[in-house]
Amino acid sequence: MLRYIIRRLLWMVVLLFLVSLVTFVIFYLLPSADPAVMRAGRQGSPELIERIRHTLGLDKPWPVQYYEYMKAVVLHFDFGYSYQNNSDVREQITSRLPATISLTLGSVILWLSVGLPIGIISAIRRRSRLDRLAMGGALLAISAPVYWLGLVLLYLFANDIGVIKLFPGAGSYEPLTENPGKWFGSLILPWMALAAAFAAFYARMLRSNLIEAMSEDYIRTARAKGLPEWRVVLGHGVRAAITPIVTVLGLDIGILLGGAILTESVFNVPGVGRLAYDAIQHADLPVIQGTVLFGAFFIIVANLVVDIMYAFLDPRVRYT
Amino acid sequence: MRKSLSLAVLAVLAGVLLMALAACGSDSNDKSSSNGSSSGNGSEFNAALPASDQKKGGTLTVPSVESFQHLDPGQAYFQLDYMVDYAVHRSLYYYKPDNSETAVPDLADGDPQVSKDGKTVTVKLKKGIKYGTNKNVPGVTGSEVKAADVKYSFERTSKPSVPNGYVSVYFPFEGGPSKGIETPDDHTLVFHLAKPFGATMAKALVMPITMPIPERYAKKFDADTPNRYDTHPDEQAFTGPYMIQSYSAGKSLTLVRNPNWDGATDTRPAYVDKIVWKMGADPTVRDRQVLDGQNMVNGDTLAGPTVKRAATGAKDQISFSPLGNRYVSLNTQKKPFSDVNVRKAVAAVLDRRAMQLARGGALVGDVATHFLPPGLPGFEEAGGMEGPGFDFLKNQSGDLKVAQDYMKKAGYSSGKYNGPQIVMYGDNASPAKDTTLVVQRGLEQLGFKVKFNQVEHSAFYDTCQTVAKVKDKIDVCANPGWLPDFFDPYAMLNAVFNGEAIVPQNNVNMSLFDDKKINAEMDRAAELTGAERAKAWGEIDKQLTEQVASIPWFWDKQANLQAKNVHGVIAKWNAAWDLSWTSIK
Repeated sequence: MLRYIIRRLLWMVVLLFLVSLVTFVIFYLLPSADPAVMRAGRQGSPELIERIRHTLGLDKPWPVQYYEYMKAVVLHFDFGYSYQNNSDVREQITSRLPATISLTLGSVILWLSVGLPIGIISAIRRRSRLDRLAMGGALLAISAPVYWLGLVLLYLFANDIGVIKLFPGAGSYEPLTENPGKWFGSLILPWMALAAAFAAFYARMLRSNLIEAMSEDYIRTARAKGLPEWRVVLGHGVRAAITPIVTVLGLDIGILLGGAILTESVFNVPGVGRLAYDAIQHADLPVIQGTVLFGAFFIIVANLVVDIMYAFLDPRVRYT
Repeated sequence: MRKSLSLAVLAVLAGVLLMALAACGSDSNDKSSSNGSSSGNGSEFNAALPASDQKKGGTLTVPSVESFQHLDPGQAYFQLDYMVDYAVHRSLYYYKPDNSETAVPDLADGDPQVSKDGKTVTVKLKKGIKYGTNKNVPGVTGSEVKAADVKYSFERTSKPSVPNGYVSVYFPFEGGPSKGIETPDDHTLVFHLAKPFGATMAKALVMPITMPIPERYAKKFDADTPNRYDTHPDEQAFTGPYMIQSYSAGKSLTLVRNPNWDGATDTRPAYVDKIVWKMGADPTVRDRQVLDGQNMVNGDTLAGPTVKRAATGAKDQISFSPLGNRYVSLNTQKKPFSDVNVRKAVAAVLDRRAMQLARGGALVGDVATHFLPPGLPGFEEAGGMEGPGFDFLKNQSGDLKVAQDYMKKAGYSSGKYNGPQIVMYGDNASPAKDTTLVVQRGLEQLGFKVKFNQVEHSAFYDTCQTVAKVKDKIDVCANPGWLPDFFDPYAMLNAVFNGEAIVPQNNVNMSLFDDKKINAEMDRAAELTGAERAKAWGEIDKQLTEQVASIPWFWDKQANLQAKNVHGVIAKWNAAWDLSWTSIK
């Protein structure tokens, strides 16, 4: 197992290099504004533009720029500074990570605690009124774009613009370390918006997996042995049905840690996703590069964690 | 089956209910239609002017979609940056919010004295203006602003850590800032210019580059790139009524009162105690928060539906401020648009009324009849709202017959173009994209085959502002616009149309218009003052319009929104809230 983890970690480094290289190349190949010109302002003289280009290192060939960038990242964990506002990229990302992590983990807890029980109940009460209601609701939740759902929640429940003033609205985010109560309150609506579609998707997936698992021979054997039904369902059915969900969950967490752009935008949660969006708008390569690398890192790590968890969930899986 | 049907009906009803609720949050109650016939700047809307009954105290919240670019006064060149910099620093001169035509002395003590030859400008400074800082900095906190500090503000722009886009344009010092600025005593500045430019340079003294920065304090910041004076603006030395207490890039900024500011030396009332700026907002949600909330004003551009909704249902909360223009640039150095008659034909066929509607209607701007926007000196002299009266701009909805007549004058006997395909560049996002489609349709009416390259906004400017990319390759840049750096026709017309100002890169003269006679007249008008100046620039505007240096089609009005309990005051020169004049009711 240890050798397997080490091998995967080495692959992770290779993948991150590839991701950074692709991002860099895309930035140079696709038409976008010259950062030096943008930085100089609309009346910046040619001399000023050249000066800025030199200061930013943009006058060097792109392979040299890429080498210097990666050298700084590897040796000093330095991601450079924004072309747009000069701020330190690492500082910007790390200062925004807590918000993104808060948003992601909270919504994961919410969608698992809602989606999984619904999936189980729907599977064991197949074709019942409850099942149809749950699956109908799930279809609606999956169909509702998160941006739209976010607006609906704000217009319904936000304490500033909502019809029923229940929860803090957009722009109310406070870090956990500063005010845990306000942190929790400010994230209730974003959690709901982000978790809705995921909860629905997980419920539907678990339902179909569990229906299939419950028709297997080992379930019949378990029942024949006289095990109580709840143990048959949870101990044998769900355990087998949940493995694919763990895979998807790992990926989803990784992607969301890279930034839940729409949710962060609607609720003005200052996370990494919003930072990436703004950077793309302003052709701000260092910030784009930094956020992409962080996002890729989370996705790769999440995949690794999922693969390791497989070994514990499924006795048939063993890594060497 | 019956059960399934009832559940399905229930689900559909729930969906409909949710959609209806969402619609309540949008502009569903908007019944206005902008037909272009009425001006959105009438008295029916919030005037956003100062009043004698404004009160002190309270906290103002300013949510914005965009973030600041540079809060270092030496680098600031953006509307949002200006909103903050003019609240925390004092420039030599500044515009009171309700009067953009006459700047009043701020750091300065009296008007600038321009020598007869226009090459020397002398400014006296007020005494007793002191710096405030967040943390006590010995030798800086509480120390007096001196002339050398203003001189250093200019000098530091030569450092790599303080790139400034406009100093070389408006401040042509003899031998650069170090040699060209004299400080005979602590309260006198003498600017020596390389050309007779004093009349224009004196007007540019409102710009943030004239905000004082003490060398003894800022030198250590300026030695590094990136510059902490910019990235950590809470460490700056402040002279304005407020100080930046905290700043988190892209997230938030907090302003508090500057304890070393003396109101007796300033005309700004500084009503509110604290200003909290929150960045990264969603425009739709932000607008709704301001509209329904308390203690708020918008930080940047409103969403289109909000403007229509507030203009019908919340007239006392929305205000409209004219500033800037939009035009279509035709390459004047390349066939077929090197022929003025072809340019006139395109101007004639262009449906500017449709473009106005595509932009958002009369609420957000008027159809332009020339280049100088309403309110700017020279506007009336150039013909006011009616314009100079050229036939090719007479019909705002376009006139195909007039256009074809001009095509015939240009040698196209059928009245239609029959040459090779032309290349047009424009934005790929609305509303600019929608206006460029109207341009394309107009060109096609005249027989042009248009290869239309729609690109991202910044790529549009990057392409159209690079002479090598435009000169022999691009015929039409479809959606440029311009805002004046200060309230003067020079700042509106010179950079955009003076052929001598054409530079290889970052060239804002996208039509590559270069008329020797008009260039000379611009140089001469830059030396004039008062009514003579306005008249001269009005004449230049007429000539530019006649020569179709570009096709003017829109005079922008910026909409701003305030909460019900806010008395917002707009700085007309910046078309944005003046934070030092806005108060809580």
